[in-house]
Amino acid sequence: MSAERLDLRGVKCPANAARALLRLECMDAGQELELWLDDGEPIDSVPPSLEQEGHEIVDRDRQGMHWCLRVRARR
Amino acid sequence: MIYLDNASTTPVAREVVETMLAALRDTYGNPSSGHRAGLDAARLLERARAIVAAALQADPDEVVFTSGGTEANNLALQGAVRADGRPGGHLVVSPIEHSSVLETAAFLEGQGVAVTRLPVDGEGRVDPDDVRRALRPDTRLVSIAPANHEVGTVQPVDAIAAACADAGIPLHLDACQAFTRVAFPADLATLVSVNGHKIHGPKGVGVLRVRRGFPLPPLLHGGGQEGGLRSGTPNVPAIAGFGRAVQLASPAENARQAGLRDAFLDRAQEALPGARVFGSRTDRLCNNACVGFDGVPGRELVVALDRLGIQVSRGSACASGSTRPSAVLTAMGVPATVALTAIRVSVGRTTTMDDIEAAIAALKRVVASMRGGR
Repeated sequence: MSAERLDLRGVKCPANAARALLRLECMDAGQELELWLDDGEPIDSVPPSLEQEGHEIVDRDRQGMHWCLRVRARR
Repeated sequence: MIYLDNASTTPVAREVVETMLAALRDTYGNPSSGHRAGLDAARLLERARAIVAAALQADPDEVVFTSGGTEANNLALQGAVRADGRPGGHLVVSPIEHSSVLETAAFLEGQGVAVTRLPVDGEGRVDPDDVRRALRPDTRLVSIAPANHEVGTVQPVDAIAAACADAGIPLHLDACQAFTRVAFPADLATLVSVNGHKIHGPKGVGVLRVRRGFPLPPLLHGGGQEGGLRSGTPNVPAIAGFGRAVQLASPAENARQAGLRDAFLDRAQEALPGARVFGSRTDRLCNNACVGFDGVPGRELVVALDRLGIQVSRGSACASGSTRPSAVLTAMGVPATVALTAIRVSVGRTTTMDDIEAAIAALKRVVASMRGGR
């Protein structure tokens, strides 16, 4: 399945986590989301919020002041 | 009781009430807080933002929740005039805008902003060529409602948007009446105001859609919520209800309401001599009928109908206590004696054909009685 992309750079906490969860809720189980976050509080707080809902952080890659995550929607 | 004043405000839909009650009961967190309760509130907020954004062909980041249409209009006009930080400037409005636009324009005029009030034709329509001619190098904003709140006339807003786009002038659409009812080019506007209580959502919530990159300064300063444009803890239950109300709107329901509107207008003209329709019969909001009956003051008619359980209004609820003729009808060239006969009958989701029949029957009785008593 192809990855969707959601750019949440510049979006504050916890609106970024809320938007990521809303997108993941609409995706098929197992589908992957390419998620962009700011460094700092977003990268600290968003991944745990997604994992708490059962979504899986497959990969995380630092890109300067930002992070690119691959998130797999929960099965 | 038969409620036919949906242009003033609408009954809150049952589904909206349920959404709001659940939010009030279960989701009490501050949507800016970083804990679980905050995230739960933020999810409601962002879900509603996504719904409104989709309806306005906007990005969620372009949606700014406000306390209603009046605040959205104030933020749009006052902000656009101050956007580049220079004093003065020029604003273009029509004379039939809602008071929250006209009074804000007058306030800005008192602060040195030049204001052009465009003419309208006999049906309340703005000529896009007049918009084009009114634009100046220092024009900061053109503000037009896609559909009028009193007479329901739908503006040629695509052509108005094109005129603004050609000149590179920002356009504000006060779409509080038009939202979910009539198509308008939200994607071509820089700023768009909408609100909840005109579409069977709650009062006290609205949105200003601000095109990404437009340097709008805030009216309210504080915690920097809503992208810094509207400080203050968001009214999450009302916002969630607003989002639900947007979801409930449908073309099929609009068509049903247009049928009720046409039935009312046709029967009023057939059954009551001296009936006249204000505004356009063709380019008209699906829920609006604005009519008058020769020799029958609208103010007295509203009271008499209310005694019979039929609730209508004289015009804008924000001006309905006035003894002066409607500013909208006056701008349309309607003589004062005729303008004073106007009443607005506006249907909604709860209106049935039986309601229309009852309203016509009551009108026949009341109009005959009022004419006979003179």
